[in-house]
Amino acid sequence: MPEIKTSQFTRASATAMLDPQLRRALDRVGSGFDVARRNAIEEVSWEAWEEWREEARQIKIHTLDHLDYYLEMLHDNVTAAGGQVHFAADAAEANAIVSHLAQSRGVKVATKSKSMVSEELELNPVLESVGVDVYETDLGEYIIQLAGETPSHLVAPALHKSKEDVAELFANKLGVPYDEDIVRMAATARQVLRDKFMQADLGISGANFVVAETGTLVIVTNEGNGRLCTSAPRLHIGITGMEKVIPSMQDLAIFLRLLPRSATGQRISSYVSMITGPRREDDEDGPEEFHLVLVDNGRSRMLRDPKLREALYCIRCGACLNICPVYARVGGHAYGWVYPGPIGAVVSPMLTGLKESKMLPQASSLCGACREACPIKINIPRMLLELRHRTAESDDPKERASSSSERFLARAFSRLMSNPGRLSFATRMGRMAQRMIPGMSRRGGWIRRAPLPLFSRWTRARDLPQLPAKSFRDIWRDELGNENGDGGNSGRR
Amino acid sequence: MAAANRGSMPGRSREEFLRSVRDALGREEGPPERHYHRLEEDLPLLEARAAELEARLQANRPQLLDRLADMAGKGGWNVHRVSGAEAALGQVDSIIGELGATRVVRSGQPVFDDVPVDTALQWRGIDVVPVARGATATREELREQMRHADVGMTGTDYALAETGSLVILPRQGLSRLVSLVPPVHVALVRPEEVLESLHDLFLLRRLEFKQRGGEMGSYLNFITGPSRTADIEMTIVQGVHGPRAVHMVIIE
Repeated sequence: MPEIKTSQFTRASATAMLDPQLRRALDRVGSGFDVARRNAIEEVSWEAWEEWREEARQIKIHTLDHLDYYLEMLHDNVTAAGGQVHFAADAAEANAIVSHLAQSRGVKVATKSKSMVSEELELNPVLESVGVDVYETDLGEYIIQLAGETPSHLVAPALHKSKEDVAELFANKLGVPYDEDIVRMAATARQVLRDKFMQADLGISGANFVVAETGTLVIVTNEGNGRLCTSAPRLHIGITGMEKVIPSMQDLAIFLRLLPRSATGQRISSYVSMITGPRREDDEDGPEEFHLVLVDNGRSRMLRDPKLREALYCIRCGACLNICPVYARVGGHAYGWVYPGPIGAVVSPMLTGLKESKMLPQASSLCGACREACPIKINIPRMLLELRHRTAESDDPKERASSSSERFLARAFSRLMSNPGRLSFATRMGRMAQRMIPGMSRRGGWIRRAPLPLFSRWTRARDLPQLPAKSFRDIWRDELGNENGDGGNSGRR
Repeated sequence: MAAANRGSMPGRSREEFLRSVRDALGREEGPPERHYHRLEEDLPLLEARAAELEARLQANRPQLLDRLADMAGKGGWNVHRVSGAEAALGQVDSIIGELGATRVVRSGQPVFDDVPVDTALQWRGIDVVPVARGATATREELREQMRHADVGMTGTDYALAETGSLVILPRQGLSRLVSLVPPVHVALVRPEEVLESLHDLFLLRRLEFKQRGGEMGSYLNFITGPSRTADIEMTIVQGVHGPRAVHMVIIE
């Protein structure tokens, strides 16, 4: 698996926020993708959208609750269509299956269309180690591959790169003259990759959906590279997480309405390719072999966990990234693993271990925008809270990751908040401290850096609101003429 | 069974993998209740629905064609509505003329029997190459022809009014690459190919799947507008791997 850097979230996010180029790139996400998404929903009406979301959610609930049944059906129907299904428990097995297929079929050149799962598995270096040249063909993925980086967005992987970056990269790696015209750079990529498509023995794709009823793999793309990867080479391998199965082809109608609108605001993407087995005798062209690799790699852990199972409903549209105030500030790389943003903050701890990724569930204001934007209505804030709870109080030593000072603070805070006398005393003390300690003095109503050792850890990655001169209780008593300072029902009597 | 067949192939057997999924779901056996209405629809039911669909399409064809043209335009197609085969040939000729195209490939679909583009383009000195095995010798030669073509022409199996998409299914004489590899794609659409929605399409596909005893055909491609990317600074560029321009000629 790719290097897991989720534990460095605090530092990486602080660095990211100071990067002016990333700032410009992330501003484009908010004004681009999310505005387009809203416009696309308004066109069909929010009422219709709500109905579609609910229907899609019900399909996902049903499918995941009966995942064994649908995986078996999928297996049988892919096989009946002349394809082969492989099951991989983890990344190593999945990579071994693909490299075994590549080696045994004498593959020299492979083209890949965008696949987040293959990023998760870190498939490319494994294939390269057995002598296969692998070319990413999605323009964003190609840029990332040339740069030796990782994607920073589920839909637009090279979002963090400026056109100047790409021009320099192409000049260095492809030996073309430096040219920052975006249209001409796309044409360069087209030309370079055209040759690879025609040379390739193997095409690798991910899957947006796989249909159990018919054994069909579905990919949704805009560039056309997915079609080329799955049509031109003699061998096609589809790799996908086992949660991508849906029962019936008819179910696709709803998902094909939700996915493009949520991802890019399109009514439908330029290409939807549905592949069922290899080419048939009468077909003019197409691959001679079709293989489908179904990957667990930690997903059964999520399935086992009723409180986190719904993270498996995700269709990787990226809508929660585009609307998230945290993603908008720190970008995708700060999250430290393949899946960024709000859904990544749930998925990464589940797939890589909560202890390693304990900061990710904290990377949220719990504002709930992600849940509203999610086409499957996944309750991401609830799961983030659940993960926070586990880092603090889980009985499982593998999950419990909070420090003793954090636990001490949390217990103290809990005692404080449960007793009005203690709270009011602490508030007075706090105000005094605010006046006396320079680092806590007024600057826009926020404490940027608390000087006291226990609190300073808290403010390393967050600002603390200052205590106001008067509390609500004080105002209630002094200015609204209520006798009791306890904020009770006195006003109504 | 699968375990024995895997031989030297890495990975889990089907049984082992499904057992681990079942275990995660907290069950020992297969799922007890799994009623899912769509999977319980049998052939007679789908046939009845398809008959209803056909009646609905016939009754609404003019409106559907309007909607198709509207949505296709919004989806990035250059839409041309013409009446009759003669006018269609004129339209194709003027598209080719405006492009200054000299090399044209086309698929071997039946629509070209009614709309004989090969003869219509002859006066321009253009040899329209039908991409089909037998017509030219090898796969490599076919590919070279497609790679160097200025225009690829196809018919369609369905056109979706809901999304402005064309849907192409495999058949003899239809390469998957004709609509993809040349920089311009010209597609001919006949009124009887128009469906209203994605639901219509999948109903008909499932019906055929069952009628053919579980054969879906190797692929189904939706095409909606040109190939595009926004991967550099979210600036939209057309024609990154597929065609930069697409024309839909609706023959009414």
